[in-house]
Amino acid sequence: MNAIEIRNLSKSFRGMYAVNGLNMTVPVGAIYGFIGENGSGKSTTEKLLCGHLVPDGGEMRLFGRPYTDAGVRARVGALIENTGCFPSSSVYANLKMQALNLGIEKPDEEIARVLKIVRMEDSATLKFKKCSLGMKQRIGIAMALLGDPALLILDEPINGLDTDGMRIMREILVDITKTYGCTVLISSHILGELEKIATHYGIIRQGRMVQELTAKEMESRARVFVSVKTRDMQGAKAVLQKAFANVREEKEYLCVYDVNDVESIVKTLIEGGHAIQEIKKNKIGLEEYYIDLMSRKEA
Amino acid sequence: MEKTHGLQFEEPSFGKRIKGMLSVDFYRLFHTPLFYIFLVIAAVIPAMILGMTSMENAEGVVEPLYTNTWQVIAAQEPLYAIKNIADYANMNMVFIFGGIMVSIFIGHDYKSGYVKQLFTTHAKKEDYMLSKTAIGAFSMACMCVTYLIGTVVAGLFVQASFAVSVVGIFSAILGKMLMSLGWASLYVFLNIIFRKYFGVSILSSFFFGTGILIVGIATAAGNTPMLNVFLYGSSVYACLSANFLSVLVCLAVSVAWAAIYNVLGTVVLSKCDVY
Repeated sequence: MNAIEIRNLSKSFRGMYAVNGLNMTVPVGAIYGFIGENGSGKSTTEKLLCGHLVPDGGEMRLFGRPYTDAGVRARVGALIENTGCFPSSSVYANLKMQALNLGIEKPDEEIARVLKIVRMEDSATLKFKKCSLGMKQRIGIAMALLGDPALLILDEPINGLDTDGMRIMREILVDITKTYGCTVLISSHILGELEKIATHYGIIRQGRMVQELTAKEMESRARVFVSVKTRDMQGAKAVLQKAFANVREEKEYLCVYDVNDVESIVKTLIEGGHAIQEIKKNKIGLEEYYIDLMSRKEA
Repeated sequence: MEKTHGLQFEEPSFGKRIKGMLSVDFYRLFHTPLFYIFLVIAAVIPAMILGMTSMENAEGVVEPLYTNTWQVIAAQEPLYAIKNIADYANMNMVFIFGGIMVSIFIGHDYKSGYVKQLFTTHAKKEDYMLSKTAIGAFSMACMCVTYLIGTVVAGLFVQASFAVSVVGIFSAILGKMLMSLGWASLYVFLNIIFRKYFGVSILSSFFFGTGILIVGIATAAGNTPMLNVFLYGSSVYACLSANFLSVLVCLAVSVAWAAIYNVLGTVVLSKCDVY
């Protein structure tokens, strides 16, 4: 069973399609990284899934049920655009309201549980408006985690966070998927961070799904290269080009593409009489893959 | 502390859904100052009207506008067309304050973004309509009580007359309290229609709350009981000469309009984007 199945979904605003014939499949238990440029339709898709917008056409199913099913929707947690908290109320009061909304029997216990998950046990009495951006995002996650969500829909939860905030958020997300088995749909522009946690990716452009792939597929498609720095770059380049098919000079490095074996490069250079100043194994990551894919689509 | 996570999706019953939504709304109502501010406003306004209004009579002598305390609660007869301000300025003003309060209450849902949480977990849009209507009706009914308290205290203070038919005053107050349901549903509906424009929501609530449309019709068509089919008409009908039948009319009209506006609001929310 898939957590999310979208077929031919469309949504327009004043004749302009934000989502146009979108197909998407998110398996149960996945952390699905939803990637696309600004205005590509990510947030619109998430709002459609949450029932905030009415689709023009297409089908959406959550755990095999129509997305309008009250049973399945009661177990969807969302953080869309902002946390949806009342600024003048305390963190506790905001969580209490959501707990009451969900009909949770022991709201105080549940609030303590989610605050512990997002590492904010000591901040319950703070007014929401006094919280930092990072704290607000974590409160948003806590709101989404209340009850027993089977699916979390998170729209740009790491945007605007500092390095430490991003690390904490990443650890929280990995923790909740491992511990509670939630399926997570997460959109973000910070692909480097997404790459560290996502098990699946969906790349959207102009309201259409360009590509869906698993992290393993992504791994196999990602190109590797070894960057080398020597004193005689031109001489080393000539030596390497005899042994390897794809050698390029990039800035002050020689890059040997599609080679995983550092040892063979070292051996070739030493035999050719070139001392190595610096050598490093690299991988073209999600960001480069995404940019490459987008530029190919553009072309 | 760990939770066992299964993929079973039990459809929540209507009662559970409404209980959840009502619990949030009542929690908000009692834990934010808005409700209490409006309760105080509802008490202060009649006191000010009774204590501070006066009018020049034909001989040029300035007299108090109200000589009987209960005139601030309701007119003696159902007067849909206004002859003077004393016929108009009574407990029906609670429905104007109530409209503004409901607009602010719903506006905060949208402004804070909390409405997203509500609509994510509540797939059935009628939950929202019903809960907000109930909250609005409860608030206005409470305002009727503080309005009554403000009136009585001011009446004692200015030593105005308290002479009245007990059945009449009881029926008038009960009738107006019952009308709160219909008015609340109207305001919730207006706020759903104008949900993207907070200012327009408040203005529309104020406009309809004044009953100016019915007053206009009554001025043109005469003081006909046919106007009782409207919310403002029935609110006026709950006057000092009211009886048990008047209360029944108020109840029937209020419930009928509440049903109509709730159905319309649910349709709008189901067919249109919620924000």
